[in-house]
Amino acid sequence: MIERFLHHVCVEQPGPEETAAGARLRLADKFPRTALRRMTHLGLLLGSALDGVALGPEDAVVYASTFAETRSLEDFLLSFPAASPLLFQTSIHPGGVQQVLIGRQQPVARLWPHAGRARLVEQALLSALLEPAPRVVLVGGEERGSWMLEHHAASARSFAFAAILTREAAGAAGRLSYLPGDTPDDTCPSLENLLEALAEHHPLGWHGAGGVWALEWI
Amino acid sequence: MHVPVDQLPAGLAACDCLTPFGDAAATAAALLAGRRALELSPVLGRDGGDPVPLALTGPMDETLPPRWLPGLRTLAAGIPPAAWGAARTPVIVASSNFGVGSLYAFTRDHDPRHLAHGTPFASVDLLRAEFGWGGHVHVFSHACVTAHLGLAHAARLLHAGLADRVLVFAFDFVSPFVAGGFHSLKILNGQLPAPYARRETGSIGLGDGAAFAVLTLEPAAFRLAAHALHNEMFHFTSNQPDGAGFAACAAAIATATAGRRVWIKGHGTGTLDAGRLEAEVLARQFPGAPLASWKGSLGHTLGSCGLVELAVALAALRGPAGMIPGTVGGAAPSFTDTVALEPFAAAGFDGAILTSNAFGGAHAAMLLTHD
Repeated sequence: MIERFLHHVCVEQPGPEETAAGARLRLADKFPRTALRRMTHLGLLLGSALDGVALGPEDAVVYASTFAETRSLEDFLLSFPAASPLLFQTSIHPGGVQQVLIGRQQPVARLWPHAGRARLVEQALLSALLEPAPRVVLVGGEERGSWMLEHHAASARSFAFAAILTREAAGAAGRLSYLPGDTPDDTCPSLENLLEALAEHHPLGWHGAGGVWALEWI
Repeated sequence: MHVPVDQLPAGLAACDCLTPFGDAAATAAALLAGRRALELSPVLGRDGGDPVPLALTGPMDETLPPRWLPGLRTLAAGIPPAAWGAARTPVIVASSNFGVGSLYAFTRDHDPRHLAHGTPFASVDLLRAEFGWGGHVHVFSHACVTAHLGLAHAARLLHAGLADRVLVFAFDFVSPFVAGGFHSLKILNGQLPAPYARRETGSIGLGDGAAFAVLTLEPAAFRLAAHALHNEMFHFTSNQPDGAGFAACAAAIATATAGRRVWIKGHGTGTLDAGRLEAEVLARQFPGAPLASWKGSLGHTLGSCGLVELAVALAALRGPAGMIPGTVGGAAPSFTDTVALEPFAAAGFDGAILTSNAFGGAHAAMLLTHD
């Protein structure tokens, strides 16, 4: 069995009407002013979820997002033929979490940005469990799309979460475990399922990647 | 002695690529002949714009089905048969752009059929359906180091005992989206790239590229012996001026190369600052090791470049000439005297370091060894 303990579990679940401008006002005290004005909604939410987490250069980050930097992508596409260099940069996965870390000038050892859907959560958690760094930052989220949402190519909801995974049980809020085996898959929790489990300390359990997964709260 | 997990070797059971020259063997031969796939083409395809260097497998304008699918079908025909996508034989898809050209096409012609493969998961779903892959398809996207992540993660899955074989599949095809983006940053301009050349203006080229590798712990003639990753997080599009980010990654891979005589396939896109920092750091860390970049011919194939260039390196090592392509498009004076402008003999080397870099100051390196 592979296991890690969850520390600093934090979620961001803004109301459905919040825009990037609204998030900038709400979260202004969490970011340097110079960085704030260029950050996307998703970047702001990820940064808020990571607020208070002091990262080190030996830490690793696992980032999970199905749709990723949606609003920058939408706006960049609409900027043609005069393509916007800023929107190009921020439209590229994993721009959301890079905005936060560049704003902090915080190097990290390894960054594992996942971009799947059906088994995204399981695959991101597997990356976290296989990471040898003593501390792994698990972050994820989405931002609500505009015109791409109308075509089912974007998230309907903005949210973000962050959790620190370590081998230290002391002081942990929860425990993640994976028992390898040969059991058939069942449905993997969605990114929103994981968000809700982290927010409400609900347990999660499923079969996937040939094994048994459990998220439990202590 | 404790060996870090990223320094445990994994064998390469199969590996090939697709470039405008063809497969890996054809690409290596073209590079040895000094041929450039890059040609000046309108930055926005049929929408026009400035001429910029692009290495394309066909017209850049998006089609239905997407223009990258026929080439990927050809490439995938060479993948050894297995129950790919099963829990013990997972697939890792690595891309920076996926089907984003289809989103661009939708914004131009409003045909909703483009949306069926515009997002990362939708394009991967198309690949799964095409190639019969199961549900265990991991998807990574980390700009131009993505393929390295896929290969490193594959090795971790194998060494953790969670997989028997892993297929890593990388693809990135140029679209007006990405060409327009790099053109807006002014590093994709009217000049052909000259990697590591000390000249007035830097420039890159972009290219279509796709590749696959099958990794295994079974004995293999060629092995990925180590991986190193580092993210400096200094700026989206520039590096720490002292080269600390390049140095951190180079130092990490150097711990696995002790006692070996290596040559280096660098990132070498043709930009000036990053090219100079990269060449200088690698020359300091690996004195005398010849450094070559192939992006002056193939263009930068973005998230797939790490795997495309690995396949080319393998083909060159296996090739009848026993020669490694030099820096096609490079020109003297170079940033360092280690830059190989001409092909050189593979004999006498027992390893190669392959590096890539990406937005955000992401650095990746891997060590390729062979019998």
